[in-house]
Amino acid sequence: MTTKRKAAKSSKSSPKRKTPARSARTAFAMATNSEKTPKQRIAAMSEVPLAVCENDENLQAILNVLRNEAEPVPVRLAALQSLQAASFSVISFQPCRADYIATLRKIATDPDPEIRQRALGILARDKDGFAQKKLIQGLQNPDQALLPPEKALQLLSNDVHAEAYAIAREMVKNPPNEIAKQEALRLLAADAESAPIFEKHLRDKEETREVREISAAALQSINPQKMHAEARKIVLDKSDHDDIQATSLTALATTSDDTEAAFIDEELFKEVERLRSKGSANVKKSARRFLSKFGR
Amino acid sequence: MSNAVSTRPQSESEFASMVDGLALDPQRSGELIAMLREDHPVYEQRGTNTIVRMRGWILLALAQVGVTDDSLIFVLEELDTGVDAYLVAAAARALRTYNQPSAALVPFVMRAFNTVRYHDDPVSFDGYGDYADSSNFTTPTRELIKTLAWLGAHAREVLPELRSLRTQGLSKKIKDEIDLAIEAIERDGPAVAAKDCCEFRGSLRDTLFWALGSRSPTETIKAVVFEDHKGELITFRDFFRDRPSIVAFFYTRCDNPLKCSLTIAKLARIQKLLVEKGVADRIQTAAITYDPGFDSARRLQTYGKDRGLELSSQHRMLRATEGMDLLSRHFNLGVNFIESLVSRHRLELYILDAQGRIAASFERIHWEEQQVVEKAIEVLNEKVADQTPAVQEQIARKDKRARTAGVMGAIASLGVAFFPKCPICWAGYLSMLGIAGLDQIPYSPWLQPVFVGMIFLNLLSVWLRSRLTGGMIGFYLVSVGAAAIMVSRIGHGSKAAGLAGFALTLAGSLLSTLRSAGPRFPFQGKWSNLFFQPPVR
Repeated sequence: MTTKRKAAKSSKSSPKRKTPARSARTAFAMATNSEKTPKQRIAAMSEVPLAVCENDENLQAILNVLRNEAEPVPVRLAALQSLQAASFSVISFQPCRADYIATLRKIATDPDPEIRQRALGILARDKDGFAQKKLIQGLQNPDQALLPPEKALQLLSNDVHAEAYAIAREMVKNPPNEIAKQEALRLLAADAESAPIFEKHLRDKEETREVREISAAALQSINPQKMHAEARKIVLDKSDHDDIQATSLTALATTSDDTEAAFIDEELFKEVERLRSKGSANVKKSARRFLSKFGR
Repeated sequence: MSNAVSTRPQSESEFASMVDGLALDPQRSGELIAMLREDHPVYEQRGTNTIVRMRGWILLALAQVGVTDDSLIFVLEELDTGVDAYLVAAAARALRTYNQPSAALVPFVMRAFNTVRYHDDPVSFDGYGDYADSSNFTTPTRELIKTLAWLGAHAREVLPELRSLRTQGLSKKIKDEIDLAIEAIERDGPAVAAKDCCEFRGSLRDTLFWALGSRSPTETIKAVVFEDHKGELITFRDFFRDRPSIVAFFYTRCDNPLKCSLTIAKLARIQKLLVEKGVADRIQTAAITYDPGFDSARRLQTYGKDRGLELSSQHRMLRATEGMDLLSRHFNLGVNFIESLVSRHRLELYILDAQGRIAASFERIHWEEQQVVEKAIEVLNEKVADQTPAVQEQIARKDKRARTAGVMGAIASLGVAFFPKCPICWAGYLSMLGIAGLDQIPYSPWLQPVFVGMIFLNLLSVWLRSRLTGGMIGFYLVSVGAAAIMVSRIGHGSKAAGLAGFALTLAGSLLSTLRSAGPRFPFQGKWSNLFFQPPVR
């Protein structure tokens, strides 16, 4: 009989005999004790989120673990996870927030890449000015970068006011890699002035399917009329990619009543009806949805 | 003001050095204050976080030279509408250098405390652009509590709130600051007279009013084209005419809930107040976006409706399809951009007169809806002589229409009362009129139902006018008159009853057309406009 089964049996036979829950104080002592094994400490860390902000001593103890580069990285990550869980309770975490944010900024430049990424991720989602400054500096000077460019761009896209449009456009022109280009385009999806970039990428059949799909979604958001015009051309172009045609059909199905006449006509219906019967599964589905919207 | 800072420093460090230099020279504090205007060249093409660092540094420089009446509005603006920890903390620190502590400052401090208490991020004032990353920091709430301590007895009214905060989940450092603040307030003696809270707002120049003769013309922006929330195009000249307008600026991507989102929600409340005051069709509202490239008609409509805005041809959300620069210059908008994206803006709401000229503005500090509506009504009631020829003509047309309606009703009554019942009666009339040579008038029985219809129409219009004016006497007279005329037509009838009916109808009709300065009228909308334009109270 396995240990688990034994435990289950024991639990069933004597329901009143429960393993005494470790008190928060004991768990805290275990979690912050560097003499315990990382495994023990990580297990204890998962029990302390409610206690991290109970008093200043607890908070400082767990922040010390997080800051201490000599501590094992998994233990530091567990400490960060506990703090992050505690921070979800905004009201009770209020007394601890300032120290927590200051510590996150400190570890944003940690030697360990995972610690850096996690800290910068939390700060960037909070639109923290420090994190945004560091991420932009890293994109401008790759030798100072704290994160890979694609990750930095992804984090910067949490805030439309992050001052990252110029650098993102540069990344689209000269991308360090394909993923970075896609992230740069995603970031620009909120920038009305980037509509021509998206039109160009959407039209370009040499571009990857992902880039064209991101461009379609961005153009739909920034300038739906331009997207509808491009979408019409794509749907009528028998040589274009199935997925892009499906995306274009979805976009055309969102035309408003007043612009409908400019893009939707018999020629288009005829082609969509052809796609409904001869396209890929994805295209067929989009074609059906499009035709049903227009009562066909 | 010197031109020394009218040019744009190339880097943030150059900017910081420049501000540090100004902070050392109290004679140049005016230049620091000028740099707090959003349209100052130092902010050109700067992003939001850069501007936060720059404005924070200027506020800290003001704290060195001392906040004056001229710079107070910028400090209070951050406390009133700011959500950034660095700027709120810098403003709280700067406020402590103002030379006139007053109880009127306390609500600003407490409002800021309640806004930032759950986003109490660490801030550092050690050097330009520093971000706190160690235990050596301050926070906006600590700075705000210190400011309450500085206010001393002026903050006595918030002592119960401070004591209550003391028992809530706050960090030890903040609780220590609260203890010090309570002690300072109690030590500072009895509360100052309550009147000091009310004298303050008058000196705070957040509201400006331009007298009729001093308003800037709108020539430069007349041709600016807007697209409204329905996608219809309209020029500035065509929309902002004939009646005053309340205009708020905003943009849908604004992430400060105390600015754009609240502005539109408050504009919706203004609309409700306009309805309550009976002027919803005489004062129009507009919400103009700073971000016309992104804020499409559909986005505008959704944003407005989500915040309770009632949209119609007189109440629109607008995006300038061309001429945003002209608009920005004309209104002197407090906004700056990085490319097309707004980096920072102030609160701003304008009241335009019937010619589209700026009559009043409310800036930076939250405005009260009631105050805005009162100001707009003041503009509405400006002397007719000062209104545009188009407006004067419109009002004259409406007056004429109302009087004509009364006279026509009376003529109809007369027609019915004396209409001949048969060809013989008609011959009788003709024999009388023949003396005057009018013997060619044919007998037309169809005229009788026409006159009867006109009597009923007159009855309806007098009823409507009576409801609007709040006086029903005219309607009662016309009703009795109409009844008398009908009675006079039964059988052989009675000419006396017909004459009495005519006299009553005439009197009632004329009475109902007289302008009244009576109480608020229960009807709103096109009916009220059709017949009556009461002065607004």
